[in-house]
Amino acid sequence: MPEGTAAMFGGHSTNGRVLVVDDETDVRKVVRMTLEKSGYDVIEAEDGEQAIQEINKGENPLMLDCIISDIRMPKINGVEAINYFKQNYPHVPLIVLTGFPDTEMATGFMKQGIVDYLVKPVEKQKLTTAVAKAMEQREINRL
Amino acid sequence: MDPSKLAITTVGIIGAGQGGTAMLEALVNLPHVRLVGITDRNPRALGLKIATYHQIPTPLHPLELIQNPQVQLLIDVTGDPSMASTIVRYKPQQTEVLEGAGAKVLWDFIQQSTMIQAQLFQAEKLAGFGTFASGIAHDINNPLYVILAMAENIQEESDRENICQYAVSIHEAAQRIHAISKNITQYARASQTQGAVTVDLHAKLDEALTIARFATKFHEITIQKHYQGTPQVFAKPEEVLQIFVNLMTNAIHAMEGKGHLVLTTGQQNGLTHVSITDTGCGIPSENLQKIFDPFFTTKAHGMGTGLGLYNVRTILRKYHGDLTIESEVGKGTTFHLIFPSTPSIEPVPHVPNSLSSH
Repeated sequence: MPEGTAAMFGGHSTNGRVLVVDDETDVRKVVRMTLEKSGYDVIEAEDGEQAIQEINKGENPLMLDCIISDIRMPKINGVEAINYFKQNYPHVPLIVLTGFPDTEMATGFMKQGIVDYLVKPVEKQKLTTAVAKAMEQREINRL
Repeated sequence: MDPSKLAITTVGIIGAGQGGTAMLEALVNLPHVRLVGITDRNPRALGLKIATYHQIPTPLHPLELIQNPQVQLLIDVTGDPSMASTIVRYKPQQTEVLEGAGAKVLWDFIQQSTMIQAQLFQAEKLAGFGTFASGIAHDINNPLYVILAMAENIQEESDRENICQYAVSIHEAAQRIHAISKNITQYARASQTQGAVTVDLHAKLDEALTIARFATKFHEITIQKHYQGTPQVFAKPEEVLQIFVNLMTNAIHAMEGKGHLVLTTGQQNGLTHVSITDTGCGIPSENLQKIFDPFFTTKAHGMGTGLGLYNVRTILRKYHGDLTIESEVGKGTTFHLIFPSTPSIEPVPHVPNSLSSH
C-alpha cells in the first residue's frame, strides 16, 4: 500500500499540508500522487481565486504548510495569487511550478522570497526536495 | 521647420543597374521627392522593372530625361565620363547634377542603411520568436510533465484499474503535444513559401490568432469576429501573417491577459479594411506620434526591439496599403489596416536588399 493513503481521507497528515494550484487537472493529480507518496496531505485549486477561497474556507489558514502554484492560469493568475499569499500568509512558504523556463522570472520570484522555482516536467526528487525545504522554512516561520 | 511645408524635388536617375536600383528604392518612399524617370541603355535593367511597377516613366534614351525641364536634380550613377559630358552639354541650365564621387557616396550610404534595416528586421523576427518559443515550451511542458510522471507511476503501480487511468492521462497528454506540433509545422511551412499569391485575409487572421495564443497569456480574452465578405490580397502569405501576429500580440499584451479582442473586416471603394481593436491600456498621445518610429518600444529591455510596428507599416506600404491607429488611454486601441483589394495589385518583383523576408 502506498504511503500517505490515509492523508487522502482528510485530517492533517504526518508531514504537512500542501495546497496545489494549477489549472490542469492531470498536473494537479500528478503532483498530488508524488506528494502523497512522501506522506503529505494535498489540497487542490484550479486557479488563484479558488485557491484564495480554499484557504479562507473556514478551516484555519495556519494549517497550510506550503503552497505550490503555477503562474499562467485563468481568473486570478499565479503572479497575482503569489502576491496575495505573500501579503496575507507571509508565513506559508511558496513554490512556483511552471512550464515557463524563464530565468528572469525565476530570479524575480526568488528575490520575493519563494522557496523554489520549478519548471515542468519536474523530477519527483526535485519536487519532494523543494517541498521538504518548504517544510523546514515553515518550522522556522512558526518559531 | 515643418516638414510638410518642404517643397517637392523632382528627380531623374540615369543608370538602372545596382546603383540606380538602390537609389530608386531609397527615393521612391521619400515624401518630398517625385521621381520623373529612370533610364538605362540596357532595356532589361532591374531598376527599369521596378520603376514600371511603381509607375515611374522609363524613357528609352537618356537624353529624354537629361533635357526634361521638369527635372530639378539629375542623379548619374553610371560612372561613365562620356555620360557626364553629355549631361553638361544637353541639360537645361537650372538642372542640378549629382554624379561621380557624390553619387557614389550616396549609393554607399543607401546600401549600408538598407543592410542595417534588413539585419534589424531579422533581429525583430528572432526577438518575436523568443516569446513564441517560450509559449510553445509552456504548452508542451505541461502535458510532458503528465506523461513522464504518469509513466513513472505505472512502473510503481500494480492495480490494473489505476494503471489504465494513468495510461488514459498519458494518451490525452500526448495528443495535446501532437496538436501543438501540427500547429507549429503549419507556421513553419507558411514562412517558407516564396513569392506573392492570393491570400484569404480571414484565414490569415484566424491563423494569426492561433499563433498569438502561443506568444501570450490568452486565458481571459474574448474574441469577437466581425468578418464581411471574402477579402483577398495579393501578397506573400508569411508577411500578411507577420502583420496580423504582430498587431494581435501587441493588442493582447496591452490587455494584460484580460479583455476583448475585436477583429473587423470590410470592403469599400476597392479597398479592404481590417481593424484590430483591444480593450487594453491605450497609448498616450505623446507615444502615438512615435509608435511607428524604428526602435520605439515601451517594453522592458530585451523584450522587444521596437521594430514591430515599423516593420508592419513597411510591409503594408510595400503592398500599397497603410496602417493608422486610434487610441484612448484606459479604453483601448484600434489599428486600422488598409489593403488594396485584389486584383489591383501586381506581384512585387524580386528586389535585392529589400526588406522582404528570406
